[in-house]
Amino acid sequence: MNEIILKLKSIYDKYKIIIILAGSILLLLVPVIFPKSYIMGIICRILLYIILAGGLNVINGYSSQFCIGYAGFFCIGAYTEAILALRLKINFWLLLPIAGIVTAIAGLLICLPTLKLKGKYLALVTLGFSEIVRLIALNWSSLTGGPMGLKGIPVPKIFGIEFKNSLSYYYIFLFLVAIFLFVTRRVINSRIGRAWMSIREDEQAARSLGVDTSMYKALNFMYGAFWAGIAGAAYAPYTRYIDSTFFTLDEGFNILSMAIIGGMGTLIGPVAGSIVVNLLTELLRPISEYRLVAYAILIIAMMWLRPQGLFGASKSILAGKEIVKKARKAEKEAAA
Amino acid sequence: MKVLLEAKNVSKHFGGLKAVDNVDMVIYEGDIFGIIGPNGAGKTTFFNLCSGVFPVTGGEIYFNGENITNLRPDIIAKKGMARTFQNIKLFNYMSVLENIKIGFHIHSRTRMWDAILHTSVYKRDEKLAEEKGMEIIERVGLKDYKDILAGNLPYGMQRMVEIARALALDPKLLLLDEPAAGMNPNETMALMEFIKKLNHEGYTIAVIEHDMKFVMNTCNRIMVLNFGKKICEGDPEYVRSNKEVNEAYFGKGIVVQGGTM
Amino acid sequence: MEYLLNQIVNGISQGAIYALMAIGYSVVVGVTGLITFTHGEVIMIGAFASFYIFQYIGNNLILGIIASFIASWILGMFIYYVCYDRFFEAPSHISLICTIGASMLIRNLAQIYFGPNQKPMLNIIDNKVYRIGVLQVSLMQIVILITVVVLASILAFFINNTRWGIMLRAVSQDKKAAYLMGINVRKTAMIGNCIGCGLAGIAGLLISIYYQTLQATMGGSLGMKAFSSSVLGGLTDTRYSALGGLAIGLIENLGITISTASFRDIFAFGFLITVLIIRPEGFASRKGAKSQ
Ligand SMILES: Nc1ncnc2c1ncn2[C@@H]1O[C@H](COP(=O)(O)OP(=O)(O)OP(=O)(O)O)[C@@H](O)[C@H]1O
Ligand SMILES: [Mg+2]
Repeated sequence: MNEIILKLKSIYDKYKIIIILAGSILLLLVPVIFPKSYIMGIICRILLYIILAGGLNVINGYSSQFCIGYAGFFCIGAYTEAILALRLKINFWLLLPIAGIVTAIAGLLICLPTLKLKGKYLALVTLGFSEIVRLIALNWSSLTGGPMGLKGIPVPKIFGIEFKNSLSYYYIFLFLVAIFLFVTRRVINSRIGRAWMSIREDEQAARSLGVDTSMYKALNFMYGAFWAGIAGAAYAPYTRYIDSTFFTLDEGFNILSMAIIGGMGTLIGPVAGSIVVNLLTELLRPISEYRLVAYAILIIAMMWLRPQGLFGASKSILAGKEIVKKARKAEKEAAA
Repeated sequence: MKVLLEAKNVSKHFGGLKAVDNVDMVIYEGDIFGIIGPNGAGKTTFFNLCSGVFPVTGGEIYFNGENITNLRPDIIAKKGMARTFQNIKLFNYMSVLENIKIGFHIHSRTRMWDAILHTSVYKRDEKLAEEKGMEIIERVGLKDYKDILAGNLPYGMQRMVEIARALALDPKLLLLDEPAAGMNPNETMALMEFIKKLNHEGYTIAVIEHDMKFVMNTCNRIMVLNFGKKICEGDPEYVRSNKEVNEAYFGKGIVVQGGTM
Repeated sequence: MEYLLNQIVNGISQGAIYALMAIGYSVVVGVTGLITFTHGEVIMIGAFASFYIFQYIGNNLILGIIASFIASWILGMFIYYVCYDRFFEAPSHISLICTIGASMLIRNLAQIYFGPNQKPMLNIIDNKVYRIGVLQVSLMQIVILITVVVLASILAFFINNTRWGIMLRAVSQDKKAAYLMGINVRKTAMIGNCIGCGLAGIAGLLISIYYQTLQATMGGSLGMKAFSSSVLGGLTDTRYSALGGLAIGLIENLGITISTASFRDIFAFGFLITVLIIRPEGFASRKGAKSQ
């Protein structure tokens, strides 16, 4: 696996400009190539989940905090967009960043109490949080429509073009994915990304080097939540109807599966994860009740065989198997 | 002479265990200060108190005239105290250069926007980390290893990387916890020279070490801990001739603690 | 006022069940040293085991308890080999993810085989209600309290007085030292994990009798409550975890006096988050704990 990745990388480095150009043209032409709305629907899902799994990966993969209830943030983003669009008739393009910021603030509120604790507490708190958010969405009928949900969410418009179906909405998702990857890549390759990774690898050492770990963990969590909010805000006008059943814990596990299976700690991992898991979902449609069973088995298999995931950071603490091997070797050497 | 680090009556108890017990200590600017003592004497714990890893049970610590008792480790690091760890704490899965780049964290101020837009602040920070990082790597003689994963280096080199990473903070005081452990005699010699050289360049250094020759030859003042208590402090000659120190290391006729002298 | 008093009674009996779950959870966490997400699913399987026993064999509480215990013990072995056995030396997030995978697996298989809908639990305890002044206490609540107290006492006796119990404590405190003393750490960890799961299974039986329903997805929020309770108790201390369970039971039932029952879980988790802010180490302030 590692060799394949290296080879692909060297090919990419060689023909970088050509590949990027050809790739972008191909991506822009996708709706022309697949004019069927069924296939475009799947592709839109893949793009949406690239943002979701990718945002989750920034939290779980780069700073090794552990968020499980990511669906809660997705939910906040979607409801923020839907409520503000329906009630105050605010423009979709303005609502995207608003929903992102609202969700990031929610993320901050959730991670503040757990900053001093180990990551595993955060994991369970996010799970509880996700349930609370869903329960509020289900029960606060006057605001969220309760079990009836919110209907008739207005579609985005720009220059007189209406993004009414998956063929046109594809461009919105593509645009967001491109921005997400571009921005995240830059953040990761800066002092901020390095601070996150130093926390992942050894928090105590990071602190001894002057990294304010609490602040960076909070920032990391907010960044991840922000993109869940963006994804939610893009999703609500896509389906034009949302209710609380879209945002269950299973949805959170669905996103988590993509990040874990595709691989954490790299940008490409969640992209691969979203493609693999969404295609698998389509394959398993005839036996759709086994869908999550299949993901579960894949997750366990991944942890047994390749804990960093398919395209995850093999040079990181996420690739725990090699660490164990090395520890055993060192022990043997010490004994000899 | 200016006092750089001062401990007043510092104690640390773990449950009933008095790991550090009422220790007073002064490190002056320009010192190479040695801390010795048998295993479990509380040396590492004392460093952990100074660098803010543990809160103290009692007493106060002053750094550069400022009370730093119970401050967070990252704040103390920002004030100019850098350290290494007895059980090396490198970022094993990052290259040597990346490790050292993280050491420049406190000297850079890239914000989220700077990183996204590649502003001049970002460019300056990256340039600083890259160039100064290479400079430090060359100084510790690891130029050929800059792209190797830190965890894959032999122990001796890992210790040097850790020192290099601490130097990236450009600290006023450098705390080294058993820097020679795991080094071969040649590496140890080189390390001694390196520490002296750093001292000439103006760094104040505190070092915990078991190797007596190392301590006697590099340090200008030495403190001896035993069972958490300070039993002796002075220049190498004085410590060498101190009766209590010899007893602590060898016991009164019987070997009490496994000191390696 | 009457209503409030009776909610306190309800809170205590429900809290007793949470306490049993939390005791199980803290045994598991103590002995494996790793956090688990499977606890809720173990609780659910325990409930279903007794459900089928009552349906096909007969309404016998003792038989149900034994069935729940055995079923969740076996599930505990499965979980141990899938999630813990090979990961003791690995970074802890790996086994954490494994328990998430195992919990997804168990829950979704249960949804397929037991059906996704709520099932009514058979009414195996008479619907008698005793009145003490203004207080109303049902026979069921008394039976639940007695069961929990008896089980907790058995566990306490086992941990403090038997060879296995002492080994369990040794492994919980320090795996390396236990290993050097010649204890088979893996086997002990497995048995400890299974005991914790067994208790959780019985708690599942009790909670489904209490609500008179059970469902394949019931594990989610119950597992979180078990975790919350044991965080309140400092995570590995069984006695304080039990107290934590009682506290959560009370908070929930008092909380719904001022709102509606659909907000039950919101109170439980709101309480957990509040506690994490104010007193993250739980009730038990531990001395000499490694603060790293
Ligand atoms: N976090 C901790 N919790 C409980 N006890 C501790 C902790 N850290 C250290 N101790 C105890 O404090 C005492 C002093 O330990 P310390 O590591 O400071 O000794 P040391 O002088 O550095 O020894 P060595 O030469 O072996 O490094 C030891 O008995 C140790 O077991
Ligand atoms: Mg030490």
